[in-house]
Amino acid sequence: MSILTLKDATIKFGGLTAVNSVSFELNKGDLFGLIGPNGAGKTTCFNIITGVYEPTSGEILFNGKRITGTPSNKIAQLGICRTFQNIRLFQSMTSLENVVVGGFLRHKTVLGSALCYLPGAIKETEKLKLQALELLKLVDLDDVANTRSRDLPYGKQRRLEIARALATQPQLLLLDEPAAGMNPNEKKELLDMVKKIRDELGVTVLLIEHDMKFVMNLCEKIFVLDHGEEIAQGPPSEIRSNPKVIAAYLGEAV
Amino acid sequence: MKTFSVGDWTKSRLISVVVALIFCFLCQLAFGGDGLKIYLRLLFSLVGIYVTLAVSLNLINGITGQFSIGHAAFYQIGAYTAALLGSTYFSNMANHSSLLWLFMAMIFSAIVAGVAGFIVGLPSLRLRGDYLAVVTLGIGEIVNIIVKNQKSLGEAYGLSTAKYESTVFAVVLLAIICIAVSRNLLKTSHGLAFLAVREDEIASSAMGVNLTKVKVTAFVLGSAFAGAAGALYAHTKGFVGPADFSMDTSFLILTMVVLGGTGSITGTTCAAIVLFIIPEKMRDMHDLMLGVPIGVAIGIMVGVGMLKKIQDTFHGDGKVRFGMNIGSMVLGIIVAYGASKLLCTIHGLQTMVNGQLFRMPVLAITLVVVMLLRPQGIFGHNEFSWSWVQKLIGKKNVPEAEVAA
Ligand SMILES: Nc1ncnc2c1ncn2[C@@H]1O[C@H](COP(=O)(O)OP(=O)(O)O)[C@@H](O)[C@H]1O
Ligand SMILES: [Mg+2]
Repeated sequence: MSILTLKDATIKFGGLTAVNSVSFELNKGDLFGLIGPNGAGKTTCFNIITGVYEPTSGEILFNGKRITGTPSNKIAQLGICRTFQNIRLFQSMTSLENVVVGGFLRHKTVLGSALCYLPGAIKETEKLKLQALELLKLVDLDDVANTRSRDLPYGKQRRLEIARALATQPQLLLLDEPAAGMNPNEKKELLDMVKKIRDELGVTVLLIEHDMKFVMNLCEKIFVLDHGEEIAQGPPSEIRSNPKVIAAYLGEAV
Repeated sequence: MKTFSVGDWTKSRLISVVVALIFCFLCQLAFGGDGLKIYLRLLFSLVGIYVTLAVSLNLINGITGQFSIGHAAFYQIGAYTAALLGSTYFSNMANHSSLLWLFMAMIFSAIVAGVAGFIVGLPSLRLRGDYLAVVTLGIGEIVNIIVKNQKSLGEAYGLSTAKYESTVFAVVLLAIICIAVSRNLLKTSHGLAFLAVREDEIASSAMGVNLTKVKVTAFVLGSAFAGAAGALYAHTKGFVGPADFSMDTSFLILTMVVLGGTGSITGTTCAAIVLFIIPEKMRDMHDLMLGVPIGVAIGIMVGVGMLKKIQDTFHGDGKVRFGMNIGSMVLGIIVAYGASKLLCTIHGLQTMVNGQLFRMPVLAITLVVVMLLRPQGIFGHNEFSWSWVQKLIGKKNVPEAEVAA
């Protein structure tokens, strides 16, 4: 069953068409890769899916419902959450607090309860903290739960972003270059982690990644973007031998 | 992690409320009495009012990260609301000097100022950074100019209001409530969402935080507390005039927040107390020889220079070098003293100058010095807690979890 559908999604920034008539479809439980050279428009795709930008034309469907132009925070509530290519953690907050903010969107207590420090708000905060701790365990960061996120090394910051996104209990998780800046060992762990997220939590994953080996090993379906346009779409084996893809990545081993 | 229990909660709440009330009552006894201590009472009340103002602005500027610099506008709206009410509808009641009336005035002023905050905040909080600063600055001036030109509001002369003499109890209580509300907020997940907006708007929005709602809420809350503080001001002084709510007032409140550490309730509170008392106390400064301020300036430059040097040399190793830092400060003081003595022997520098002239420059210099040495404010993002003190004085064995708790 289709969970996310892009239909002829197009966005123009002034004279530049960053994404040009892109269409693809993700089914529930997919591990879907979005690749392409630098500046191809991958991050921009994420931005139009998550409501950072509204597409100039075309539409985006989530679970069959049109979400084009819905504000970011509503999108998160609907069940799509993302990480950022240029890490955007809440820097002066601890790892645990970062993840708690992720879980906050489904809060039930009113602000007044928090301002008066009533049992409802306290219990909810405790519940969110426990849930956050579980997620930190999942991404293997429970030992740094109380460390300020800006003090974490790069690889851990990326994993923390994943935990924070998972805290929103998404059906669809968008990962923007999650392996960037990681060493081979960390990449291996990340690969297992993403598989676990899909298999155990049942979250559909759409990810952007530059490391071809990583994408080919992980994803079951791949979409290739170049200059904002689709050049190929299919399983890794097809993509690997596609002459257009090879041309776009000129010289790189695919 | 400790888990929640209703019994503990009830007990700790009861104790805090009782302690707070006793504290207010003691303040009333110490500073609120009639007789010779009128000046002291006024000073104490104003300190309390400014603590409320600074902590409420900290909700907007520090915790939510929206740079608002027109806080005096809401203070003014609250003060005039209370003054109008006091001089018209409730004048008879006020003669009975009932606390109840005072609280009613406070609540009413808070509501009016909160509504004003909502009307101003809803459109302007969509603006970012500098734009919001300019708009709020403008609002502050507009409110003051409207008041100055409104006959029913006393124009430039102001309004006198029924005076409720002993406001000390209410002033302290309001300050405590304002601090408690901020603190409570930060202890719950709601508060973390506010902080998240300060840290990164795009990311918090992507996590499902409603930016407009959070910002407007912070703005309305902050404005409402400022309004309540205004009501107390009106009844402490028995008189309100536009001069008390000028841009200077807004900047004084802003300085308190920035100096104390944007986001830190403890820092803001301390800064409000110190920054209000210093200029007030300097009102009765004697005339001094011109050599003295010059000597002091040299001393400050030496001290600050040394501190800055220490900071740069040991950049980022995370240790606080108390010995060296205190040494630099002592050196600065000695240099200031010596230089003053020496300079005062020079004939040309023996001219007498009015000490009061230095009231405002002292604030400016403090601000410059703090921004040089600690751009994040004295307390940074830290709050007072015993484990934090332990960490500060270098006890290594405090586990991180404890510090966070
Ligand atoms: N807000 C924006 N305004 C103007 N141009 C933009 C904006 N966002 C992205 N672009 C442009 O769109 C193109 C695609 O960018 P991006 O999606 O970040 O590429 P990538 O595939 O490397 O993630 C780039 O040329 C970039 O400069
Ligand atoms: Mg990108």
